Amino acid sequence: MSARDLGEAIVGRIRGVVEEYIVSVTERDSIMVKYANGEVTVTQSWRDYIVYVYLAKGGKMTASRFTARDPGEAVAVTARLVDKLSPSPLYAPLPQPTGKPSSALDPRIRESCISGDPRGLVEDFDVTPYGNIAGMVSLEYNNVYFIGSNGLDAGFETTSYNGYLRVFRGDDSGQWAWTSTRYDVSLAVRAAEKALELARLCEGLPKERVEGGVYRVLLSPMVAGNLLESVAYAATAGSLILGFSFLQGRRRGDVIASEKLTLRDTPLNDSLPGYRSFDDEGIATRDKAVIEKGEFRGFLHNTKTARILNEETTGNAGWILPRLFNIEVESGSLREDEMLEALREGIYATNNWYTRFQNYLEGQFSTVTRDALVIVRGGKPVACSKRARLTGTLPELLANVEELSRERWQIQWWEVETPSILPHILISKLGVTAETGAL
Amino acid sequence: MDVDLLRGLVESLRGPGVEYVEARFHSNRVTQLLFINGGLATAFKSDSSGVAFRVIYEGGLGFSATSDLSREGLRAALERALASARASSTRVKSRVRMSPARLGSARYSVLEVKPLDSLDVEDKIREVGERLKTLELVKEPVRVTSYTVAYTENIESKILVTSDGALVESTVPRVSILYNISASSGDRRANRWNMVAGSGGFELVDRLRFDEEMRDDIESLYINLAKAVDPPRGKMDVILSPEIVGLSVHESIGHPSEADRVLGREAAQAGLSYRRDYREPFIGSEAVTVYDDPTIPGSYGFYLYDDEGVPARRRVLIDRGRLAELLHNRETASVYNTESNASARATDYRSEPIVRMANTYMAPGDYRFEELLEGVKMGVYIRKYMEWNIDDYRWVARYVGLEAYMVRNGRLEEPVRNVVLEIDTRTYYSSIDAVGRDLEFSAGTCGKGEPPQPMPVWMGGPHVRLRGVVVG
Repeated sequence: MSARDLGEAIVGRIRGVVEEYIVSVTERDSIMVKYANGEVTVTQSWRDYIVYVYLAKGGKMTASRFTARDPGEAVAVTARLVDKLSPSPLYAPLPQPTGKPSSALDPRIRESCISGDPRGLVEDFDVTPYGNIAGMVSLEYNNVYFIGSNGLDAGFETTSYNGYLRVFRGDDSGQWAWTSTRYDVSLAVRAAEKALELARLCEGLPKERVEGGVYRVLLSPMVAGNLLESVAYAATAGSLILGFSFLQGRRRGDVIASEKLTLRDTPLNDSLPGYRSFDDEGIATRDKAVIEKGEFRGFLHNTKTARILNEETTGNAGWILPRLFNIEVESGSLREDEMLEALREGIYATNNWYTRFQNYLEGQFSTVTRDALVIVRGGKPVACSKRARLTGTLPELLANVEELSRERWQIQWWEVETPSILPHILISKLGVTAETGAL
Repeated sequence: MDVDLLRGLVESLRGPGVEYVEARFHSNRVTQLLFINGGLATAFKSDSSGVAFRVIYEGGLGFSATSDLSREGLRAALERALASARASSTRVKSRVRMSPARLGSARYSVLEVKPLDSLDVEDKIREVGERLKTLELVKEPVRVTSYTVAYTENIESKILVTSDGALVESTVPRVSILYNISASSGDRRANRWNMVAGSGGFELVDRLRFDEEMRDDIESLYINLAKAVDPPRGKMDVILSPEIVGLSVHESIGHPSEADRVLGREAAQAGLSYRRDYREPFIGSEAVTVYDDPTIPGSYGFYLYDDEGVPARRRVLIDRGRLAELLHNRETASVYNTESNASARATDYRSEPIVRMANTYMAPGDYRFEELLEGVKMGVYIRKYMEWNIDDYRWVARYVGLEAYMVRNGRLEEPVRNVVLEIDTRTYYSSIDAVGRDLEFSAGTCGKGEPPQPMPVWMGGPHVRLRGVVVG
């Protein structure tokens, strides 16, 4: 039975019970190889059926998720649940679909995933040249079909090849990541080489403690991706409504960043796994700036949040609340090696994790660096430090963007969940707190 | 799910090279009610059910999971797990083994006073919604600008069958209430998010007193925005509340005691552990003892058998200042030539069982809160935090206070805003000279693994006093 047939069978159980519905059926096959200490630790595969059901009646609405191939009676139970709810302040009628189906598919990934045999993935990428390496490589294939009471009747296929690798040289390490809709083992090799290069850079430099203070800081695409994902999330109207957005009170046209910064949500970039030609309400997606040359270009909406804020949908519907698809930051004019020269005096943060907000509404954050943390003087790397914290507010971070590199990287990993294309970004002022009590 | 079907599948995979086979049916049935500013915005339902297989073939570990519960679907997943294990076996230097263990043959479930399945959703909406109506949202000059509340129930059911004899069936229902409160006073804005949670039925809505917690948090926001002054800086004594002690033991001794992290298996994800390199026997003062205990009734991290079938017990992580056990699953225990202490947990059918905490807490001591205060000439008391993080080696942590007070000559005085405690693990545990006689737990969702596995845990402790640490 095809994904569409499964969707039709589910619709048959709810048609007439509710006024509006959208059903999506996803058949997903995926494979992952994980590494640690320079060897494979586990090879994994999944075959999942994921059914999403949105139902509305009289302004009341529910959303459900099932993993059964045919959720059967469970869908009918959910349909009956709608009557027991109260009208939702988020409700808006489903729009007429405007999107056309389109896939971002690499047939080789589809075949590998459906076969469930991970040998090719294990054998193609040899980790032995990198010594003590850890991380993962992953393939995923999705076959998705949407059917809605608004006339939505469309399906698509997507594939992804992504991973991240951390290489250790003694106490020093480097980490890098990649993401793509197409299988190209050179992406894994390039990430491993980059991680090794960063680990070696610090291996060859003296160790120095970073003192607390305000620094010029060069953010690698890994770090920039993590922090700018928080910025992009704050630009979703759902984040605003739930009280998590530092952009509360901001309007389209407000200057919120350095004029050098342009950040876009790009669902139509078919090299990134977030590729989508229509959103979860059936509206055609479009690439759009969230920040353009420093100006805020408005919140990202579905029809529900657009109604509340008296705006138009931007084609960013997720399930109930708006979502991000892909993030792109426009490149700058400097070559990557010129970015260190532009930094002059400061630190180069190559990776980070554990970003936490002291205050979402003010965008006040701290994040912990990991892997190579390079001290730069006279535009040259002169030492490495173990770890430090970067602290500040997102508005200050955006305002202090000084330069961006010409080269960009396609990044996705634990700390950058949305597939992103990012340059290196130089921040003219950022708080740094020092490592204490070294072991 | 038919136990005999799982058993039959596990037994069917025999032959040269096959060293271990495991099947786990795992179901999470979730209902969530989302309230925005007191009104119900929507209801979510989720039913995630599937079977995960693990196979060890010639020292290589393979995992495969599926939500296709047909006999053919399960057979195909088992074959994929074997194919994965064969693929792993070609690239392993150190063979994966399962340590010998006394494995369970048991069935257990958490009793619900008000069973989640027996109540109508309308009653749940009413019960939660009525409590929200009692909140006072304005205390001049501070106003709550918005608040969201997510009531979530999850009935987790599992059946575990292993080729070396484990057969464990379990059902653990859980309830959590997560909320975010945004408030402002003039140009100043702040938010507090918090979660209360436990295992059991709908009676937890009463027992967890989330509305009282919310009222207390609104008061904390008021104190932060309207009353607090700039925080002190410098070396001084610090008293920490159970909320912060619980978080700190989770982050700075719980995580680093996970043996897979010490062995480097999480190196590219959740990171490493100082316990790989730390050579001293002591990490803290004699006042400090830390446990991790899955068997606490009603706890959010409750279980009686882990996801490899090993009977759960309390683990001692710090014993009167001395570093003690690591947390093990059977795989890491085999490397250390020891026994698993039942720390294998998987979030759902898509997840492999990895080493996780359950309910981590510092053991209470003898001091009343007033006695902790009495000994402080100049210091600060941090009651609630608003931000924290820790490096991936688990050595330097940061906690920023939402509600904190100056302490002078044994007395609580003016509130201070956003006080920062940034401290390394050894200094933290070594500076504790007195431990309160109270014990409180907070709920959390712990992160680890790839694909990420959010895991319910409790974190707890008493009030503690630290001598002469740097604040600011």
